[in-house]
Amino acid sequence: MDIDEYRAAFDAWLDDNREQLAPAYEGKGTLDEQMAQIAKVKRLAFDADFGRWGWPERVGGLGGSTLFRAYLQEAVTARDLVEPGLFSMQEVLAPTMIDFAAPELAATMVARLLRGDETWCQGFSEPGTGSNLGSLSCRSVRDGDTWRVTGQKVWTSLAQYAQRCVLLTRSGTPESAHRGITALFLDMDSPGITVRPIETMHGSLEFSEVFFDDVVVPAERMLGAEGQGWSVAMDLLPYERSTALWQRAAFLHSRLQRLLEVAPPGSLDPLKLGEVTQTLYAFRARSRGTQHRMASGAPLGSETSIDKVLLATAEQAVFDLVADTLPAEVTVGDDVESHLWRTEYLYSRAASIYGGSSEIQRNIIARRLLDLGSDR
Amino acid sequence: MDGEELELFERSLRHATASATGAELDAALVELGWHDALEVDRRASVALLFGLQGEAGSTSAALDHLVATATGLAAAASTGVVLPAIDRWDPPGVVHGRTLQVAGLVSSAGAECPEVVVAATAGDALVAATVPTESLGLRPVHGVDPWLGLHQIPAREVALPAEPTPVEGSWTDAVAAARLALAQQLVGTSRTMLRLAREHALDRVQFGQPIAGFQAVRHRLAETLVAIETAEAMIDAAWLDGDPGTAAMAKAVAGREARVAAKHCQQVLAGIGFTTEHDLHRFVRRALVLNGLFGSAKSITSAFGAELVESRQLPPLLPL
Repeated sequence: MDIDEYRAAFDAWLDDNREQLAPAYEGKGTLDEQMAQIAKVKRLAFDADFGRWGWPERVGGLGGSTLFRAYLQEAVTARDLVEPGLFSMQEVLAPTMIDFAAPELAATMVARLLRGDETWCQGFSEPGTGSNLGSLSCRSVRDGDTWRVTGQKVWTSLAQYAQRCVLLTRSGTPESAHRGITALFLDMDSPGITVRPIETMHGSLEFSEVFFDDVVVPAERMLGAEGQGWSVAMDLLPYERSTALWQRAAFLHSRLQRLLEVAPPGSLDPLKLGEVTQTLYAFRARSRGTQHRMASGAPLGSETSIDKVLLATAEQAVFDLVADTLPAEVTVGDDVESHLWRTEYLYSRAASIYGGSSEIQRNIIARRLLDLGSDR
Repeated sequence: MDGEELELFERSLRHATASATGAELDAALVELGWHDALEVDRRASVALLFGLQGEAGSTSAALDHLVATATGLAAAASTGVVLPAIDRWDPPGVVHGRTLQVAGLVSSAGAECPEVVVAATAGDALVAATVPTESLGLRPVHGVDPWLGLHQIPAREVALPAEPTPVEGSWTDAVAAARLALAQQLVGTSRTMLRLAREHALDRVQFGQPIAGFQAVRHRLAETLVAIETAEAMIDAAWLDGDPGTAAMAKAVAGREARVAAKHCQQVLAGIGFTTEHDLHRFVRRALVLNGLFGSAKSITSAFGAELVESRQLPPLLPL
């Protein structure tokens, strides 16, 4: 199967199953509705094999180019079938599991994520650890065949829905920095875990605080070796900053197209519109290049920070234009579509923050891509 | 061209563009077979030469050649080509009977030729009108970048010595080819500005450390690299889909991002970058003129936006 065959087959399948795949809600839906819809789309796509292409056979996939995965993400986004950001989280977590989990563990677990049977979350940030990930303090202590975890995480997306968590813990001394971090894959129904959702500015309980009180994790749930958690994080972050964001160009394209259709005559500034469109197309071109590099087997690294900066720039440019063009809808409109514009506008403010702020990306670009040496 | 061939070609072009400019560079391009390579691997030939010209700050008649071949204008080496005036991209001439109205620019190579050819509209048709160079009243451009060697044709009417000939190629293709080349040259220009600013940031010590250690400086340089890669990505998209509309976007993005690069790099280079004792100013100047050739970022973008408002339809996204 090549990408053109996959595209044609998947498009035909999406057409044939239009009714079954359609969301049961109008507009954006509640978070519960969005999560149920994502699980449904994943299950149907997996059972029809489309959700398995591009993933290794040893974790329940059918092999083949990773471009198949990219096309799936894009196609379900362009057809408004799923909330794109939540749907694409598997593009962050599954590759890490495949690279670092014991083979039997990866073989059992990854297919559950891909089929939508499970939701996973990513326990990285802490109240005292945002941009400086190496300073995390959620404690893990080895106790025979188990780890015992005590501490707190924050900004953990979908924690209240998740069955599992990829968790970074401090197994070394507090001074051990990035050398003393161990990654664990734990069950969210383990005794001692408390999840407290936080309401975001755009009105969603998308992320949570998660508290760990002497939570027991079997030692075989370690990802990588003891003290290798930093490598796990460094492996995961480039995906979070690039391939997981690929579908956002398709999302932004469909929203910008909608804006063109509904904008009152004279409300769109041609120069601004042209610039925003060019910015979006440049992000798409950059992101496409990254997808093709990954498909060729090249490792992704610091250069993905450029993808992330471009996404943030493009997304905020599109929704700044929305706010300028539809001021009444965004500010005082209470119909379904106005609510959607407002929610998306507000969510776009997070694009320069999540997955490493634009400032952190610039630090990485300066240090790793421009070789400017240390800034400390 | 494959990997090894390409590497060798790049090395030769790098040497040529760094050590020669103008007529000398044109001679070197003939010698190393750039025009033949263009027929074999158009993308690599254009991207390499124009990128390297941008990096080195050198000039050649390659842009004239691209415009001439895309339109099928008579491409004798002894015939120059008239380019549109700054911020214009329509054919530079209009023919009424045996009179040619022309306004535009001629490269230094073109100005040396006894004759120049003008792409001109005649009613709905595109024609090639060839006139003696001396009839155009060429005036060397000093302007912001005298080193580019452009000549200005003050708007004028010229009597045609011969009937203009019909043109087979399309002016749209010529504009697209020129824009892709100029976009790549703008990226090359930006890359040199970034190199100069980076070297300065590492060398210049203040408060007991290289200024490259300060986040305000680092972020400007990082933004410059983002600007350059944004333009590169858009150029890549234009080669991939071959659409003149995408080439227009690439030129607009490259022009805009070169201004961003110039702004950041000039600020990092500060006092010394504001003098003629440092090379930066030549690249800042070059970026301004290149942005204007075949349509500035602002004009291309406004026209594009106006089309979108009118059609209410975005172009398709670049496929995976």
